[in-house]
Amino acid sequence: MLPKKGIEGKEGFDGKTYLVRNEAMFTAFRHSQGEFSQFFKALRDDARILGNRCPKCRVLICPPFQNRCPDCNFAEMQSEIMPDTGLMAASPVIVIFAPARFKADVPYGLGYAFLGKSDCALPLRVKTTTGMIRPGILEKHTLVKIVFRNKRQGEMLDIFALPQTELTLEQIQKSPLLESEISFETPREPEFGEKTQKLVFAKNRLVKQLRLLSERIKKSPRAQKDLANWRRLVKIKTAGGDFGILIDNGKLEVIEGDIFDPNLVFAIENPSKLRMDSALTNLVMEGSLWVNKSELETITRLDRLYRSLKRDSC
Amino acid sequence: MESENKVAIVGAGMTHCRSRWLEKTYWELSQMAVARAVNDAGIDIKEVEGGVAGIYNDIFQFMAIPESPLQGIIGLANKPLIRVSNGGATGAYSMLAAYNMVASGQYDLLLVLGAEKALDCFDFEAQSPTPAVVQTIAYSWDPWFERPLGAHASSSYAQVVLAYMDEHPGDLDPLVRAKVVELLCKQSQNNPYAQRLGERVTAKQVLDSRYVVYPIRSLETCVYTEGACALIFASPKVAKKISERNGKDPIWICGSGAANEPYFVGNNSRQFKVLHRIYSDYLATKKALKQAGIKIDDIDVIELHDAFIPQLLITLTEMGVVKRGHANDLVDKGIIMPGGRLLVNPSGGLVFGGHFVGGSNMMSTWSIMRELRDRNLRYGLVHGTGASLSNYGAVMVLER
Repeated sequence: MLPKKGIEGKEGFDGKTYLVRNEAMFTAFRHSQGEFSQFFKALRDDARILGNRCPKCRVLICPPFQNRCPDCNFAEMQSEIMPDTGLMAASPVIVIFAPARFKADVPYGLGYAFLGKSDCALPLRVKTTTGMIRPGILEKHTLVKIVFRNKRQGEMLDIFALPQTELTLEQIQKSPLLESEISFETPREPEFGEKTQKLVFAKNRLVKQLRLLSERIKKSPRAQKDLANWRRLVKIKTAGGDFGILIDNGKLEVIEGDIFDPNLVFAIENPSKLRMDSALTNLVMEGSLWVNKSELETITRLDRLYRSLKRDSC
Repeated sequence: MESENKVAIVGAGMTHCRSRWLEKTYWELSQMAVARAVNDAGIDIKEVEGGVAGIYNDIFQFMAIPESPLQGIIGLANKPLIRVSNGGATGAYSMLAAYNMVASGQYDLLLVLGAEKALDCFDFEAQSPTPAVVQTIAYSWDPWFERPLGAHASSSYAQVVLAYMDEHPGDLDPLVRAKVVELLCKQSQNNPYAQRLGERVTAKQVLDSRYVVYPIRSLETCVYTEGACALIFASPKVAKKISERNGKDPIWICGSGAANEPYFVGNNSRQFKVLHRIYSDYLATKKALKQAGIKIDDIDVIELHDAFIPQLLITLTEMGVVKRGHANDLVDKGIIMPGGRLLVNPSGGLVFGGHFVGGSNMMSTWSIMRELRDRNLRYGLVHGTGASLSNYGAVMVLER
């Protein structure tokens, strides 16, 4: 987003006013894909992945990041088609705080896979058909299948990896496997045990705490900023009973009774685990807080509140 | 020290580390640090024959070749000034360049400067500088394969950490990491320039802090910092004269080493980056210790580039302080804890002291100089890491 041009005063540590100028370091590119064009064209046009092999030492690299082998005094490497199955080189990371350009994608999984007998691992996005990506779904040496998007541009996001355990044998054997051929399940809400008196009490306490939080937010400019320009009706399901919260442009409101057509559903068996002074993000990653959509922004905004309230002494 | 090409550090000057220096540009921060360094050495800037400027990122300075306006401002008009930019390890590599320039015999007195702004970047949509800073650092990844996937600094270090944990299950225990954070926070309170002076962070707070990239929590990451540090390097004959003048013992560089791993990930460290290692740190440390003629157990104090706390622990295993897979021992056996045999990051490191990228490793050198003199220690080690997957490593052994 390019800022409006302007110069304004900001107060420094010494109480004096210093000027800040809104500006952008903006350079557009028609960025050459050069020698990698063949690799990206094969992804886009043929749904194939290419690698390069050295005829002397037989090293096989995918992605084909060089055309000559430095280990063999720059012998010309030869292009070959790679299999679309492989092994994860390590457990993939899950990005929660992303660069500005990728904010809308979080959480997303990033990892490296050795395709076939490649000596080099291909960087790629990793996904699951079971909802939000979480730790443990893919690990070191997990067998993966490369899936091609139906609409491809000739770039790394044209493909992603899925664990083979989430696919049928036919899907694993099919090349290329397209995204439209995958069944991304409708996420199933977790089932809870018995509604005990203790859990009902915990849910009522949580509602009370959230009402208190709502009042504290009204007094905290930082907390209001955390929730600014954001609207979400969230149904919160617990084993002690359900309720909702409405986040609406800087405000948080607790709603009891039925919640119709929520934007998000959070489900957590034990309501006492949902503490605003610890990170909800961690509960999601650890699997105790279930979210019905692969959207983390509401959670990360709520996670900022505790620190903001503290900083504003509210 | 037996080496013929001895180089001394005879002066150091720091600015305060701040998340935002609204009051200063990197021009004045640089001038402030240089003025303090020449004052510390008791010399006139006119005696200095040239310099090395460590500035990590042009975008942060909002200018290409950002070293050019510094030339006259830092008192080096019509003298050589080399700019070094080597990712997170820019500071360490700048010192390495200056060391080699003096050790070669071509220069007797040289300035090394590290400076960085960072928080002028701003995301107008989020109304926060942080996403813009993260995006700017993410431009360090290649534009064909990695960057289009959304890779960035934290994801890259987290990948090394996860791969290490795959290889050594149970090591890098979250509580061990949290205790290291608590320790560094306490130690930083003795650093008058530390960015997080006055803060108190407990292990429990660390464990409660949210993941920024799984498995790294927000309180395990370094801070974004603006600031500058300058050092004065001297040949033995000039160091002797300066020492007679200012009455301070010079600090000698008695070993240096550096290594950068290949960019692409693979199955052997000869041709590729092997994810579960920070092999560059292993190689750089080995070389520096060999040149110094000592072993890692001879080191009294380490200032280690802690971009992320679990990476600090992995680096200590690569240095040989404990075996790989036994990083928990650093805390569980008290090795780096108060009263332990090794002092690590008495400045608070980059997590609490500050990380003004171009000069952070110089702050580490400033800290080692202070510790060697104040605690009457003999050997210190300065470390810098950087680039994607922590691929760059540089180490210097200092002796008093």
